Formats: sequence, structure tokens, C-alpha cells
Amino acid sequence: MSGGFPEALQFSFAERVNRLVDWLVLHYGDHLRSVSDHLLQLLVSLENLLRLMPWWLVLALVGLLAWHACRSLPRALGLTALLLLIGMLGLWDKLLQTLALVLVSTGLCVLVGVPLGVLLASKPLVRRVVMPVLDVMQTLPAFVYLIPVLMLFGLGKVPAVFATLIYALPPLVRLTELGMRQIDPSLLRAAGSLGANRWQRLRSIALPLALPSIMAGLNQSVMMALSMVVVASMIGARGLGEDVLAGIQTLNVGQGVEAGLAIVALAMVIDRISQAYGQRERA
Amino acid sequence: MKRIPTLLATLVLALGLASTDSVAANDARTPIHFGAIGWESGALTTEILRLIVEKGYGYPTDTLPGSTVSMEVALARNDLQVIAEEWAGRSPAWVRAEQAGQVFSLGDTVKNAEEGWWVPAYVVKGDPQRNLKPLAPDLRSVDDLKRYPQVFRDPESPDKGRFLNSPSGWTSETVNSQKLKAYGLDQQYVNFRSGSGAALDAEINSAIRRGQPVLFYYWSPTPLIGRHELIRLEEPPFDPDAWATLTDPRNTNPRGSRSLPAKLSIGVSAAFREQYPELVAAFAQVDLPIDRLNKALAHMNETRQPPRTAAQAFLRDNPAVWKAWVPAEVAAKVEAAL
Repeated sequence: MSGGFPEALQFSFAERVNRLVDWLVLHYGDHLRSVSDHLLQLLVSLENLLRLMPWWLVLALVGLLAWHACRSLPRALGLTALLLLIGMLGLWDKLLQTLALVLVSTGLCVLVGVPLGVLLASKPLVRRVVMPVLDVMQTLPAFVYLIPVLMLFGLGKVPAVFATLIYALPPLVRLTELGMRQIDPSLLRAAGSLGANRWQRLRSIALPLALPSIMAGLNQSVMMALSMVVVASMIGARGLGEDVLAGIQTLNVGQGVEAGLAIVALAMVIDRISQAYGQRERA
Repeated sequence: MKRIPTLLATLVLALGLASTDSVAANDARTPIHFGAIGWESGALTTEILRLIVEKGYGYPTDTLPGSTVSMEVALARNDLQVIAEEWAGRSPAWVRAEQAGQVFSLGDTVKNAEEGWWVPAYVVKGDPQRNLKPLAPDLRSVDDLKRYPQVFRDPESPDKGRFLNSPSGWTSETVNSQKLKAYGLDQQYVNFRSGSGAALDAEINSAIRRGQPVLFYYWSPTPLIGRHELIRLEEPPFDPDAWATLTDPRNTNPRGSRSLPAKLSIGVSAAFREQYPELVAAFAQVDLPIDRLNKALAHMNETRQPPRTAAQAFLRDNPAVWKAWVPAEVAAKVEAAL
């Protein structure tokens, strides 16, 4: 079966991994579940907050935000209309669930990704270690790590956030690092000779200069987070992905297309708003 | 300089063509394509059938992977010839193809295949060895669930219990959602769709490993049922009228009933049915006793045997089971090859 490769050179570590996962579940399963419950509270309360708001208020807020970002009335109206369209397709509730998931995972991405990117830019050794890890995060098929994560943290939203975090983090880290490394070092030296300490140099010079690049990374992260929505629904997270999945599984192509386009619409809204903020900072 | 790569490419291409030619010459017939079913009972049945077809009848076989729906569509187009375990009548794609005469279901491969709601036995009886107390000592039927929502607490909405439904899109998901209403549990229990079969399995296995209570929909033949001590909750006896209210998601007033006994059969394409009448005759006889199948599946899952090896072991250990399906001379050939 294994072609011409000599059998003496073959080995498998599958059994060891299985035993490790089993052992982790047995010894740390309950403990990790209580940790995951805390994260879950955050998600559920954000979701409930979104759900408590009447639909027109959500639309108005998005419209306002879009206008504030783009300073263009037609664009703000267009983006609001896109969300309205999702609601008219009967997907409002699922839209809110997906939005909550994407907001929380993107928030965590920023919390982890930006500091990590800054660190990578200044420490070449860390960079050499972390870069391959980022490659793994982007290419390892999601289910490979999802099933163990699921066994440890429970079914539903929490493993979905983990999966999204793992997949959506690398572009933010890479682009933050790129932005930091492209800063002219003489600027930082000048600030240093004027008496700015490391934190001041980072906050007032490096970060603002790298911001366009960071915003581009954030934008990519959001897009990738949205593309993970279907995978998230495969591990019991509710939302738009659930409809895509159900559509695929029952050969109901129409339902799948409706929900799929709703994901695209949501992506466009978030993309245009975050891009506009990024560009304003640049100008 | 440019010529050398071109020359090389031509050489490789010629070699490739020549090798396919020789393979084709060795084996004039195209292989019979089986759907590579991902779940264990399907994988085992596939390998059992392939062994019989290859060793007993001498036809080459092959498998092609895909999701359930894509395999059903492929079968209708004769891109696949056999799906070894088809839950007949459960999927809209299958029903449509069957009505159009593109696919046929053969035999009744696993009798008494069942689906229902299960809890691990330690939830009811406790497990002194693992120091687990019986959390729901009086849980027998679905009605008793009303008393125990707190036992199966849902972390996402802690005031309710969690019922692990099958992934949305499965026919059973509709039935279970209707059953929750029919048994008056929809206010107390969250109807939690597990998203995929793998996720459902992982969650149940994790709960059993940790000795935590879990309430879930499941079906047999499966390794899970063969491997763990589980209790199936009693439901009202099967009633066709009530069943009709359960399968219709728009029915607002469903009535409770056990699920329709599942009929597992072998799905074949119309072309296969014409081309291989002797295989069709054998497939129609296939009958796998469910308890032995569950045991074989549990063993296969526990020792992580490849399905092919498990199928050989199954055929070796249960000659009386499969010899009844095929003529004596075929049976002798299969036995000699094991």
C-alpha cells in the first residue's frame, strides 16, 4: 500500500498523540471547561446585548459608524441597506450571532496579534521561531486541532473562537511586523535623542506610522474570521454558517447561497468600515 | 537549451502513457467504484463487500471519497457504482434519484438498526469504580427528562438543559426538534445542533471520559454503542401517524413516537444493476447481525484497526454470516483468500 518506500524507515506517532489527548481530557478536561465557561459568558453577554437592541437601532448604529468612517452618505446608506437585506432574508438572528463571534475573535486577535507583531519586529530570534508557527496555523487543516480543542473546551462557541483565532491571527501578526520594520530607524533614533523612552517611542512614533499596515492586517483578519464561520458551525457554533452547512447537507443550494451571500454582505460591511478608518489614519 | 526540458517532459509523458497502457492491458475491466464512507459502520461494510467482490467474483474495486450527499449525486450519475451503507429514504437527494430510477437500494443489510436518545449508564446507575454518583437515578423514559434539566446543564444558557441533536441538515435533526416539542421539553432543554458528526462524537466521548452527564441523539450500528454502556431512553411505541407529525418541521403540534426503524441497504447505480446481476443477487442477501457488528466496530475503533483488516477479521470470525449470501463456490474462493 505504501508504494516503494522502505517499511523499515516508516514510523507513526499517531498512537502517542491519541494517548496524550486522552490523558489531557481525563486530567484537565473539567478544569478547562470552567475556563471556557468564562469566555463563553463574555460571548453570550455580547450576543444578548446585540439581540436586546431593536433591529432598527442596530442598523442605525451601523449606518452612523459607516458615515463616520467614510464621510459619504451614499456609501453609509448602501452598507446599511446590505445589512437590511440580510434581515429581509430572515437571517437577522443568525447575523447577530455571527457578528458576536467575529467581534470577539477579532478582538482577541488584536490583543494577541499586535503585541506579537511588535515583538517579532524587534527580536529577530523570536521572529525566526514564530514565523514557521504562523505557517502551521494557516495551513494545518482546522479539524485536526478542532476535535481535541472541542474535547477539552466543549462544543459550541468557545472552540469556534479558538479556531477562528488560530486561522485569523497570522495576517495581523505578519502585517504588524512588516509595518514596524518599514519605519525609518532614524526617526526612532531622533526621538530617542530627544529623550523619549522606549514606550513613548513605540506609542507616539512607531505605532502611528505602522498603523496603515496594522489596519490592513486587521482587515485581513476580519475577512478570514468570516470565512471560518462555516467551519465554526461544524463544531456547533450557531450563526450564518449553520444555514450554509444545512444547505450543503440537504442539497438545498438556494438556502446555501442565501446564507453564503449574507456572509459576503457582512464581510463587505465590516471591510468597508475598517478600511475607511485605516485610510483616514493614513491621510 | 530550451529543448532539454521539452524532451524530458515528452519522455515522462510517454512513460506515463506507456505505464497506464500496460495497466489497462493487465486489467481490461474498469474497477467497480465504491463510495469511501467516512463513518465506521459504512467503512467496515464497504470493505466487507469489496473483499467478497474482489476475492469471490474476481472484479477489481476501488473507492472514491466524498460527503454523503456528493456520493449520492455521484451514484445517480454512475460515477460511483456502490454505496455500501445507505440509510434509504433519509436524504432528499437519494429519494429524488430513486424516483428517477437512477439508483436502487438492495437488501436490508442491518436489521434492528435503531436511533434514539441516549445517556451514559453511570448517569442513572452511578459508577462506584470511578466514584460517580447516580445523578438521575429515576431516569427511564423521555418523560423523566422534565425532572432533570439541571443534570444536563447547558453552559451557554445555564437555566436550561442541553440536548445534543444531530447536525442541522440531517433528517434526524428535524425529527429530534419535533420530538422535543412533542415531549414538552422544548422550554427546559436547549436544542443544540452539533454541527458535524465528528463534533458530536468528540463531545460525547469527552463527556464519557470525564464521567460527566450528557444527553444525546445517537444511532446504531456504531462503535460508540458497542463500546460504552449506554441507556436508551424509552419513548412511546412507534405510530405511523405520530411519525408523520415528527418528520414535518412545519407541524406545530407533533406527537411522540419512537423513530421509524431505520432501513439500511446497499445503494447501487442503475448501470451497475444491469451490468452485474450476480453481485446484485448477492448484495440483496446481505444481512449483518447488529450485535456482532457493534462489537466489531467497537474493537475496530478501540484498536484503531484499518477497516480492511477489521473486515478480514469479521469475515474470518463469522463465516456462517456471510456464506449465506453467496453461492458455495464463491464462498470457497473468498475463504481461501482470507
